[in-house]
Amino acid sequence: MINKNVIRAVLITLFFGLVHFVLIPLHVPRPSFIPGFAPPPDMWPRVVSLLGLGIGLFSIATSVLESRQGVSHDLTASLPVRVSKGAVVRLGAVVLVFAGFAILLPLLGFLGSSVLLALATFLLTGGFRYRTLAVLLALFLPVALQLFFANVMYTPFPAGSWGVLPTLR
Amino acid sequence: MWNDIIFAVSSVATFANVLAMSAGILAGVVIGAIPGMTGTMAVTLALPFTFYMQPVTSILLLVALYKGSTYGASISAILIKTPGTASAACTILDGWPLARQGKAGKALNMALVSSCIGDFISNISLIFLAAPLALLALRVGPAEYFMLMAFALCMVASISGNSLLMGIVSACLGLLLATVGEDIYGSYRFAMTEDMKGGLSIAPVLIGLFALPELIRMIVFRDGPQGKAMKLGDNHLTLAEFKGSFKSIVRGSFIGVVLGAIPGIGPSAAAFFSYGEARRSSPNRDNFGKGELEGIAASESANNGCCGSTMIPLLALGVPGDVITGVMLGAFMIQGLTPGPLLFQNNLNEVYMLFVGMIFSSVLLFIAGKLTARYFSRIAAIPQVVLGPVVLMLCIYGIYAISSNTFDVTILLIMGAVGFVMLLLDIPAAPFLIAFILGPMFEDNLRRALAISRGDLAIFFQSPISWLFAVLIVFFLAYTVRWELQKLRQKRAES
Repeated sequence: MINKNVIRAVLITLFFGLVHFVLIPLHVPRPSFIPGFAPPPDMWPRVVSLLGLGIGLFSIATSVLESRQGVSHDLTASLPVRVSKGAVVRLGAVVLVFAGFAILLPLLGFLGSSVLLALATFLLTGGFRYRTLAVLLALFLPVALQLFFANVMYTPFPAGSWGVLPTLR
Repeated sequence: MWNDIIFAVSSVATFANVLAMSAGILAGVVIGAIPGMTGTMAVTLALPFTFYMQPVTSILLLVALYKGSTYGASISAILIKTPGTASAACTILDGWPLARQGKAGKALNMALVSSCIGDFISNISLIFLAAPLALLALRVGPAEYFMLMAFALCMVASISGNSLLMGIVSACLGLLLATVGEDIYGSYRFAMTEDMKGGLSIAPVLIGLFALPELIRMIVFRDGPQGKAMKLGDNHLTLAEFKGSFKSIVRGSFIGVVLGAIPGIGPSAAAFFSYGEARRSSPNRDNFGKGELEGIAASESANNGCCGSTMIPLLALGVPGDVITGVMLGAFMIQGLTPGPLLFQNNLNEVYMLFVGMIFSSVLLFIAGKLTARYFSRIAAIPQVVLGPVVLMLCIYGIYAISSNTFDVTILLIMGAVGFVMLLLDIPAAPFLIAFILGPMFEDNLRRALAISRGDLAIFFQSPISWLFAVLIVFFLAYTVRWELQKLRQKRAES
């Protein structure tokens, strides 16, 4: 059985460690001159990441102690069902669909990529009983939303470099 | 003052404002009634649509959605034994047994009446308490503000989720994310791309964090089919039944007002506390849990009693106490208004209009509840599998409409994934959001205070206000730690 608390504590420690020891030195430059007694820009991120790192290390210690004493924390304890192979596959599919949307956006444009995203999401939710309604919504909802925002709020939607679908106005 | 109120009434009673409030209440009731759709989701999804509205109209729309969804959550709790939001979980205890007895309509009527009374009392409290608190807040400096925000964050971190440590971790994540972009002295932090130099916008972060994880959860874990909705049956609430529950309604409303005004506590705790008090003091205490109207009255008046009072710390101090007021803070900022003591000096007309509008919306809630009663069974039976992708489309188009920037859409999707991981690891999302919103103010006040004191940390313990918040922080943290240790001991004994 996976001990959720140990995994969680390790992930927290790794994240805040990465921020404190790698990201802050690389991406938070300290100016050569700081006027008056103003604290430097890296002071706050360092304080917060140190706090997170401290909690992460404390959590590792307590969760290891707990697991030795036999208090179990199943990874799926807070979830409605147990993690199955199908759930992992669907999670991978969600990541792929979201990444696909971000990649296709500049190519297909906002309308084309969002129609595909809606169809893919309907497929993934498994509501095949409502497939007619789902397909109609996937096709017409993005069109309706694009027309609304383009006409009421004058939002310029990208048409995409492939020019498959026209920009609705 | 009376001139201001008369002006506010005439300004609020415009077609646009009444339409916004009516639409907000109606949409809120519908969204709240659909299991899996929460008031937070309703308010966050509406945020992009408010971008081009007048400031007061947009805030009134969001407040109306909040009130409508808080009441709407009781519909699914009573009719299909599934609370629309956590705050309606208590309503199930008596609502579902009443529905099984063929008295669902009576239960819904009691929920509506108690919600409207709770909401009205809460609005009145907001009007009387927000202005004096704002006046007091004008006298506090950066050190006191820092301590106040630390208190708000500690409260949210200790009450959200199951663990204080995970609440603090969540707040740390939010505080770190808030540092992305330019700081008050013009330095760029974590600006890895050109788009990140301006920092991350509130809307994609909060919508991604609160609307998308539910959709991903729905896809990954595929919930079982929804329960079938009960018929309304006996619909008539008698005067005797109302009188019998009146005491619990008033007490619940005030419990909601007090607990709603404290950052972090919110409607769920208020509903359970009020229910417990009603059960303790009622002559019908043996009937609680078996279909007692007074139980519904107690929980519903308390959760709606929070609606107005959660706005007290937001309007008077600029500190959001929960996620919904966090979203509203975002809406205020989008509209160029800054909640806090200066709002009462610079935008007094808007404040009065907001107060008047909130009282109007209590009346509208009653009308909307009565008008939509016959459709409740259908609303509660709307399939989630169809709604999920609709929510995703609304999020994506809404976020793009605010900034016309695909970077924000990418942030939305990333935050959806982050929110899902947090859900999986049992890390509460509310402290993350509150910390992300308060982060810049929190840091600015810290740096200003340290600049004033020339780096001396004693500035945070020099005034009585700072001491008050320091004592409150220590008290609540100690209380939470004690409670968690008790839980751990119990768990050990069980295993």
